[in-house]
Amino acid sequence: MAQDEKQPVIVLQNVDKHFGSFQALKNINLVVNKGERLVVCGPSGSGKSTMIRCINRLEEHDGGKIIVNGHELTGNTKDIDAVRREVGMVFQSFNLFPHLTVVKNLMLAPRLVRNTSKAEAHDIAMALLERVKIPEQANKYPVQLSGGQQQRVAIARALCMNPEIMLFDEPTSALDPEMISEVLDVMVDLAKEGMTMICVTHEMGFARSVADKIVFMDAGEIVETGPPATFFDNPKSERTKKFLSQIIQH
Amino acid sequence: MADLVGWWDDFFWGSVVVAQVFFASLTMMVLFGLLGAAAKLSNSRVAQKVAAAYTVVFRGTPEILVLLLIYFGSAIALTSLAQLYDPSIAFVDIPPFWAGSFAIGLIVGAYATETFRGAFLGVDPGQIEAARALGISGFKTFIYIQIPEMWRLALPAFGNHMLSLIKDTALISIIGLNETLFAAEQAIGTTGKPFTMYIVVGCIYLSFSTAITLTVMMLEKKANRHLEGAR
Amino acid sequence: MSFDFSLVIDSIPKMLMGLGLTLQLMALSAVLGTVLAVVLLLMRISRRWYLVWPSVTYIYIFRGTPILVQIFIIYYGLPQFEAVRDSIFWPILREPFGCAVLALSLNTGAYVSEILRGGILGVDKGLGEAAAALGLSVRQRFIHITTPIAIRLATPAYSNDIVSLMKSTALASTITLLDMMGIARTIVAETFAPYEVFLSLAVIYMVMTFFIQKAFGRFERHMSRYLKREN
Repeated sequence: MAQDEKQPVIVLQNVDKHFGSFQALKNINLVVNKGERLVVCGPSGSGKSTMIRCINRLEEHDGGKIIVNGHELTGNTKDIDAVRREVGMVFQSFNLFPHLTVVKNLMLAPRLVRNTSKAEAHDIAMALLERVKIPEQANKYPVQLSGGQQQRVAIARALCMNPEIMLFDEPTSALDPEMISEVLDVMVDLAKEGMTMICVTHEMGFARSVADKIVFMDAGEIVETGPPATFFDNPKSERTKKFLSQIIQH
Repeated sequence: MADLVGWWDDFFWGSVVVAQVFFASLTMMVLFGLLGAAAKLSNSRVAQKVAAAYTVVFRGTPEILVLLLIYFGSAIALTSLAQLYDPSIAFVDIPPFWAGSFAIGLIVGAYATETFRGAFLGVDPGQIEAARALGISGFKTFIYIQIPEMWRLALPAFGNHMLSLIKDTALISIIGLNETLFAAEQAIGTTGKPFTMYIVVGCIYLSFSTAITLTVMMLEKKANRHLEGAR
Repeated sequence: MSFDFSLVIDSIPKMLMGLGLTLQLMALSAVLGTVLAVVLLLMRISRRWYLVWPSVTYIYIFRGTPILVQIFIIYYGLPQFEAVRDSIFWPILREPFGCAVLALSLNTGAYVSEILRGGILGVDKGLGEAAAALGLSVRQRFIHITTPIAIRLATPAYSNDIVSLMKSTALASTITLLDMMGIARTIVAETFAPYEVFLSLAVIYMVMTFFIQKAFGRFERHMSRYLKREN
């Protein structure tokens, strides 16, 4: 399997991040290897989103080092653009461009960033819409789609740039319960294809079945890391135990 | 600065007049705005139509036109009334101060109508339901729940209306009110320095605007203090 | 005192002779003002203090003072300086038309700039992040994502501002221009019939307001077509 090659594609070393006087990330150390599937969980405000947003520099870290696919993230715009081309991201609130049709949402970045021809961008877009099983929605505007459909479009849009790594920031948290599985199905398919993924999610079923490694964060720190079996059935830290008991209590 | 020697007091008294017009027109603006909003929200079709006409007319007509119409129109009416008693009377007018304050209060009141109406409708009906569910009377709900929330919602636009009022006071010099532009014209007549004098007027108005802006900022801060620290 | 309809019939065609001038003032100032507004906006959001600061100051001054004072400073004030009278701009600044267009454009620029900024601030931050995550550059994000959405958000306020501009053109009559307002004032001075003349003119302005709002309403619907849920 790919991860046996142990080729690190994301490295965080002693990463700190402050918002004013509030420290959102405290000395984060994390290595993600090629093909690895990571699930990040933890209570709200624990820094999970901040951490993955630092990986494509939507947030700037202010201490330590982040290396993505060989590029160290600094103020250098060229490196950041290079990283962002190689890292796809899916947001909790979809963030589809409301003024563009579905297919144009997908074509925008290849056209602008990679100078792909219109016809080729269209072909790529349609192929990806097939993959997320909504080609028939291609010419609709985002607002005309259900939440689950919008999120699948958002995943396809990120895949249009042919990224090597995908970041998911709570992709199902804004969805009605009946739409969660259609999005998770797409993510499971991606995982099967060997995509390197980091998912912030509360979907513990997904975490258990798909993740190679689970990272538990609390108060800006990584508290515990381990394979799903150990993490769920044999957590070491008290904080992890408490979190797990809270999310499965009801 | 040397050009201004001897004119400071004229500008000062002109500014006092501006402030007086401002407060007089502010009172009328609030009054017309509340009346307009109440009419728009009422169940009476007639009141709704009248209020709609009021806002359309005064938002679609130049301020100077409204001002001249009110001033000269009322003067014509008053003069012909006065001549019924004494045909030798040549001209009677409403003092420019009151005609002007009324005119700009009426104009900006048309904008305030929409602001007050929007603020009333902007209060989350859930809050009102919650208060009623707790057994609080309709009147007390209005006083303690709706009014404070309406005030918070209306403040930013209300601040803009006050800025409109203060700037519109400059128009009243056209009908002969002794305010700052009038003072400037007199000063120019003697000194021949129009730029200097009009810049002084500009600075006076900028000070008024600044004072209003700061006041509104302070009031907004106070009205929003319960939202501080919200994420 | 009576309402003389024959005077209405007589004066409307006369006032409409000034319609061309009113429209010229409005169209020229709208275009120049909007261009200026975009420049001010780009300065304002550039995050470079030496661009931000002049833009903020400019907007503050022009929004904080009456447009009438601005017109007077430019028309009556600037010729105080010999340098102005000797400059290449004198052919424009000598003419009341040039001064009116200049004042109206400078004023509109300040207001519209804030409107456009409001539109930009209204664009969901997540969209910019999504575009950034896809590798779009700052410039590409601004052109392809922020601008089209900001234009839609700013259109209603922009429409109101063009109506304000139209109303402000009436102030050109204070510097001797014979726009519709100027002609109306001349007729009133001759006939002393403010009701007939000014009310007729008010109707003309309201019709213009109606058409401006109608046109922008159509534009806004076009810009919002993607928000309709049904196809």
